[in-house]
Amino acid sequence: MQSEATKYSGGERTGRWIWSFEGRMMLPALVILAAISILPLLYIIWMSFSNVTLLGGAGITSRWVGLGNWARMFSDGTVWSGWLTMVMYFVATVGLEMILGIAIALLIHEVVWGKNLAMSLILIPMFVAPVIVGLLGRFMVNSTYGLYSWVLSSTGIFTGNILGGKVSAFVAVVLMDVWEWAPLIALITLAGLVSIQPQVLEAARVDGANYLARLRHIVFPSISGIVIVALLIRSMDALRYFDIIWQVTGGGPANATKIIPLRLYETAFRFLHLGYAATIGLVMLAVSILVANLFTAILRQRGLAG
Amino acid sequence: MNKNGSARLSGQKIILNALLVVVLLWTLVPIGWMVLSSFKSAADVLSPTPLLTFKPTLANYASLFFGGNNLLSYIRSSILAAGISTIIATTLGCFAGYGLARSSFRGKHHLAFWIISTRMAPIAAVILPFFIGFTFLHLINTIWGLIIAYLSFNLPFAIWIMNAFFADLPPGIEEAARVDGATRFQAFWRVALPLTAPGIVTTAILCLVFSWNDYAFAVTFTGPGSQTLPVAASQLITQTGVNWGQLTAIGTVVALPMVIVGLAVRRYLVRGLTLGAVTGE
Repeated sequence: MQSEATKYSGGERTGRWIWSFEGRMMLPALVILAAISILPLLYIIWMSFSNVTLLGGAGITSRWVGLGNWARMFSDGTVWSGWLTMVMYFVATVGLEMILGIAIALLIHEVVWGKNLAMSLILIPMFVAPVIVGLLGRFMVNSTYGLYSWVLSSTGIFTGNILGGKVSAFVAVVLMDVWEWAPLIALITLAGLVSIQPQVLEAARVDGANYLARLRHIVFPSISGIVIVALLIRSMDALRYFDIIWQVTGGGPANATKIIPLRLYETAFRFLHLGYAATIGLVMLAVSILVANLFTAILRQRGLAG
Repeated sequence: MNKNGSARLSGQKIILNALLVVVLLWTLVPIGWMVLSSFKSAADVLSPTPLLTFKPTLANYASLFFGGNNLLSYIRSSILAAGISTIIATTLGCFAGYGLARSSFRGKHHLAFWIISTRMAPIAAVILPFFIGFTFLHLINTIWGLIIAYLSFNLPFAIWIMNAFFADLPPGIEEAARVDGATRFQAFWRVALPLTAPGIVTTAILCLVFSWNDYAFAVTFTGPGSQTLPVAASQLITQTGVNWGQLTAIGTVVALPMVIVGLAVRRYLVRGLTLGAVTGE
């Protein structure tokens, strides 16, 4: 594949490549992408060293403060607790989504009849806008007329206001995220399961391996690559979005669900400390680049990129 | 197989199906409840015990479309912002994805990495420089500002996916066209592009879903006249209370089209959502 591509491009030096056919095909997209990614990146770096204030209309003033924002961030307890909440939320959501998603995929793989229909139905939450998921979640757990809080209180499992308690609110936003994104893991894992040769499984069955033994020795080793892809894809998106928590709790009660993107947004658009927010944003960016790095490394290992 | 074995097998079958029912209930009950509630009258929605039987009404939809806050302008903004951004991203993504798939030069993986990391940048971080830039360029409260913001995740996404789809095509197919006298561009346009039609449709649909469902960019960059549907939905929550009937109706309006188009490309979803890393069933 690599050699065929080389034959086509007629030149390996980057400088010459940009004027080749391939380079010219990419040029319009690259110019636009540069304008909307490199310029903002440079700007956010500069912002992190400045005090940026909004004036009325289109006015913005800024004053260079050097490392002021950075020094402030490292001693800011609310930022640290935002990251801590983020890590807890991340581990809880992505962890549960992986476990549930893989379990659902295994389940659907075993079901003989209606596999396709079942998977399609399970995928539905993935296409619902996260903001709607949040609003719908609020409706379902509303303490006076929510369906789920009614079920929980009439079975005696949980009475009271779900979004009012720190722990119950955290659990609720985690489960809403899991509801939307476990299907993605299930979909990707199922693609891996389907690609396992049925003869291999059948041979193991004939040899007397029970289901758990087959899972451990055949199924998990053969889907591990795909599962890691699923994990990284989900991780990157988990860092990107914050719509569900934003809608459901807004970070409350008592900051129990105030993950770092919410803290950032509040710093920028409520307290109007845009420069300081940019500093927090750069750290988030660094984390996401780290995960993206892992992702492309795995892709290259699988022979799919670069 | 002895009698005992088959009894155990059917027992397993029952457990499997029961588990599947549980999963389906977990998935579908909130959706079903949303759609159901959108047809309830204001009194029925607020019933303290859940109502499964009620007199259905279109009042929620009627007041959304013909009431005080006219939903049509939000729908228009949503369609324009998501649609135009999708068209631009998919078109440029086809060209660039082909270029990327067919080229090999030193540092290609750096270029590929830059493209993907653009897609993965946290929205909360991206919002800041965009907000300042849009303020300078007077793009706040315009559809074009939103289109540009959506390009920041749709364009790199489209390049990656189309790269994966084009990389699957053996270059020999285009070579044959070249032998017949076609230029490089003609070989791309007439031979390679039609062969990736499923990829193009998948790319377009996923771009549409991502931008249609966006809330953070829309609520930050738009104002009256350019606000999109997700913003309209969140505005139904006010200090004085929440109109849950209308809210479930608007939720249905936002979700239904995306569920339909999303499931339409079900076969290629794995490919698209893993950015080409996993080939579908």
